[in-house]
Amino acid sequence: MIRQLDVDGVPTLMAATAGPMRAGLTFRVGTADETLGRSGITHLLEHLALAPLGLTDYHFNGATAPIFTSFYMQGSESDIAGFLTAVCRTIHDLPMARLEVEKEILRTEWSSRGNAAIDSVPLWRHGARDHGLTSYPEFGLHAITEHDLRAWAARWFTRENAVLWIAGERVPAGLRLALPAGVRQPVPPVSSALPRTPAYFVNGSRAVVLDSVVRRRTAAGVFAGVLEREMYRSLRQEDGLSYTINTGYEPRGDGHATLRALADALPEKQDAVLGGFIDVLAKLRVGRIEQADLDATVAKREETLGLAEVDAARLPSQALDLLTGQRTVTVDELRAELKTVTLGDLHQVAQEVTATALLMVPDGTTADWAGFTEAPTCSTHTLPGTAYREREGDGELRVGIDGVSYVGPGGPLTVRYAECAALLAWPDGARRLIGHDAISMHIEPTLFDLHPGAIGVIDQRVPADRRVPMPARPPEKIPQPYAAANRPHPPHQQQRPAPATRSWWEVPLMVLSGLATLGVGGITLLLTFGLFIADESDGDIGWLWGMVGVGWLLTVILALPIVLLRRRRR
Amino acid sequence: MIAAMPAPLPAIDFDPAAAFPEVNDMRAALATRDWPRVRQLLDPRDWAGRSLLVSAADDVEGVGDFLRAVLARHPGDTVAATMLAAHLVDAGWKIRTSLRAEHVSREQFAQLHDHLRQAEQILIDVCARDPGNVLAWQERLTTAMGLQLGQAEARRRYDRLARYAPHDRRSQSALLQQLCPKWSGSWDKVFAFARERMLAAPEGAQNGVLLADAHFERYHDFDTDGERAAYVRDPRVAQDIWTAAQRSVLHPHFRHEPGWVSTRSVFALWFGLLDQWAAAAAQFAALGHLGSEYPWSYLGGTSTLDKFRTEAYAKGGPR
Repeated sequence: MIRQLDVDGVPTLMAATAGPMRAGLTFRVGTADETLGRSGITHLLEHLALAPLGLTDYHFNGATAPIFTSFYMQGSESDIAGFLTAVCRTIHDLPMARLEVEKEILRTEWSSRGNAAIDSVPLWRHGARDHGLTSYPEFGLHAITEHDLRAWAARWFTRENAVLWIAGERVPAGLRLALPAGVRQPVPPVSSALPRTPAYFVNGSRAVVLDSVVRRRTAAGVFAGVLEREMYRSLRQEDGLSYTINTGYEPRGDGHATLRALADALPEKQDAVLGGFIDVLAKLRVGRIEQADLDATVAKREETLGLAEVDAARLPSQALDLLTGQRTVTVDELRAELKTVTLGDLHQVAQEVTATALLMVPDGTTADWAGFTEAPTCSTHTLPGTAYREREGDGELRVGIDGVSYVGPGGPLTVRYAECAALLAWPDGARRLIGHDAISMHIEPTLFDLHPGAIGVIDQRVPADRRVPMPARPPEKIPQPYAAANRPHPPHQQQRPAPATRSWWEVPLMVLSGLATLGVGGITLLLTFGLFIADESDGDIGWLWGMVGVGWLLTVILALPIVLLRRRRR
Repeated sequence: MIAAMPAPLPAIDFDPAAAFPEVNDMRAALATRDWPRVRQLLDPRDWAGRSLLVSAADDVEGVGDFLRAVLARHPGDTVAATMLAAHLVDAGWKIRTSLRAEHVSREQFAQLHDHLRQAEQILIDVCARDPGNVLAWQERLTTAMGLQLGQAEARRRYDRLARYAPHDRRSQSALLQQLCPKWSGSWDKVFAFARERMLAAPEGAQNGVLLADAHFERYHDFDTDGERAAYVRDPRVAQDIWTAAQRSVLHPHFRHEPGWVSTRSVFALWFGLLDQWAAAAAQFAALGHLGSEYPWSYLGGTSTLDKFRTEAYAKGGPR
């Protein structure tokens, strides 16, 4: 049984446990509530709140997720009381002296965090806001001030916006949740960067990933289990294409859930894993779902629900439901619901999954042949503005009063100032504008014939709270023309290498250069042969040798334009 | 004694209906838009027989619209869906033409790919509903090749199909194409697959032709006549052709089942290339007036066929 009570105005869930006491305090705030320009603020606050408790052997932790932030501890009654009391106090009295150190720790945490295949999915589905922010580095860290942190704490870390859960016999003596009053915050809206689904995008990882959105219900959770069994059988047991197969079902707090599936692939089997994956989805979509898979999945869930500790184990997820105003169900209700799930229900979920699907496919493959639309990698429109030519290549940057457009290879790319999620600004003048739709435009002043005032226009037009100051770069990191390899490309531009196009004058120049080289080179060659054959005693031919030298030099000079133009193209 | 003037050789009939009259029944059923009759013709046959009849459907005017209408009435009819997909694949390839890639325009490629994508999406659905539909998987080998879905994906499709029809010669020929270097494969893969499937099939089956096809692809791929001449002089090649023939067209169990005309034609051609005119003449005699586009289409078509046939009868004994 899960009991509900109240501790210092904070709704509290409690269930018995045979093991050590555990407790968690969860707030309805997370990365999805942030903006890209100040992203990382919740994570930073969570770290700062725990910082004073750092040098202990206690089992405690903090976690920042898209829509919630939790502080968790396992230990004696007095340890837990002390921990949670201290956390509540520290959140509103942060150790600001540690601000820069904690920022540095978070940057290290980001850079050492392995890039999981699945990490880029949210960006493609949601863009550079709310649920899409988890795909980005915590860009806001640089800009976040003490004031920002205090305001963030006051808005989100309140009594009304928290839920406490305790696995144990009673509320620990001495626990004091000294939180200010506030309001229960609704879950953030969910943005979409996909004009059409089912969609796909290409990613360099050796895995196929499915991301979909379904209405939250017991049948959808069961479907994730059935899908995993089907994938395991087809892709691993029968065809031997994948090793790792897994699926996940995660409620989003708004009546919907994210349903994901992943299958990894050997380098030479990636196309087959994609094909097999698409066939598995099609099989379920047309309703050919195995009763045995349904039965096995339900049996596994029932087994979990039959464990002695089931109530204690369900406390964290129940706390989230309470916090987001979702229906909470008892174990008995859940068991009853599991029994009613039919193949027809699963078929319905399968159709929802395919209709909302976003598929991540390996490099060198596509999924358009299977009816998936390519997710946008460039903008549909451009904006007028003052045009600046790219020094190297045929691109053109247009800086206007409403936004910036880039027209050229990989484009067009457009970011409107009003829809700019973040403006990354380097001291050397480089700028990166990231639009809400995740279209990213990187401007290196060294690579464009840029008027000195152009960057100023951008800086002025983008709202100040979107601006993210970036640390200075060493000179060798600043790209220079004719060193294309150094040039950092925004993620969206990397998706598709654009075909190289030539300027009108290049081909005639190369032809001219070729003809001249052939002419002069030919004559020089004949002359050289002639001199070798000629009788050495034929008087003084030193001046002729001089001519040969000059001729060869001229040939090389005439051939230069071809070489340079070709190199420029690589 | 005056030698009798040889009677002129009969003209070759390339129509598959010449060998299999049921092809005309199929055409008639499609022309009169008689779907129950189409099913009646298809359903009792094995996969090779169905494949033969389905490929005949394309000669009938307006068959695509008819199949779409059938599907609108019976949305779950996987037979109609497969036929529609096969029709789209054929129509796409006709737009592309059989020219080498550099002679095909961008627009032609775009239309081919569009047709193949439509076909593929229909076939994904058919295979999801009916995973044992060998014909649908066979078409998916062709779509995979045209859409360049990759070697491993083509192999996966073949393996799925082979669970239900391990010796389906037409599907094996389709995969053999994919395994060729021209479709990003390798000769090692081509020959390994051809030998393996030939030896796995019962003696007297047509699968022996795979090895002859593999050598023919290799032969045809050489750049110079000199290389080609050297290839046919290689005793290992001749050995392979004889082995393949003895397991198929020369075996007492060889039957005139769908595909036999092109199978005998491949051996007639190979025996001609190998200068084994008596053996070539025996194949031409068995073929009579029947002929197939393949393999002659690779070497200039009817004129090459006539030349080989005339030479076979001239040098290879009585007809």
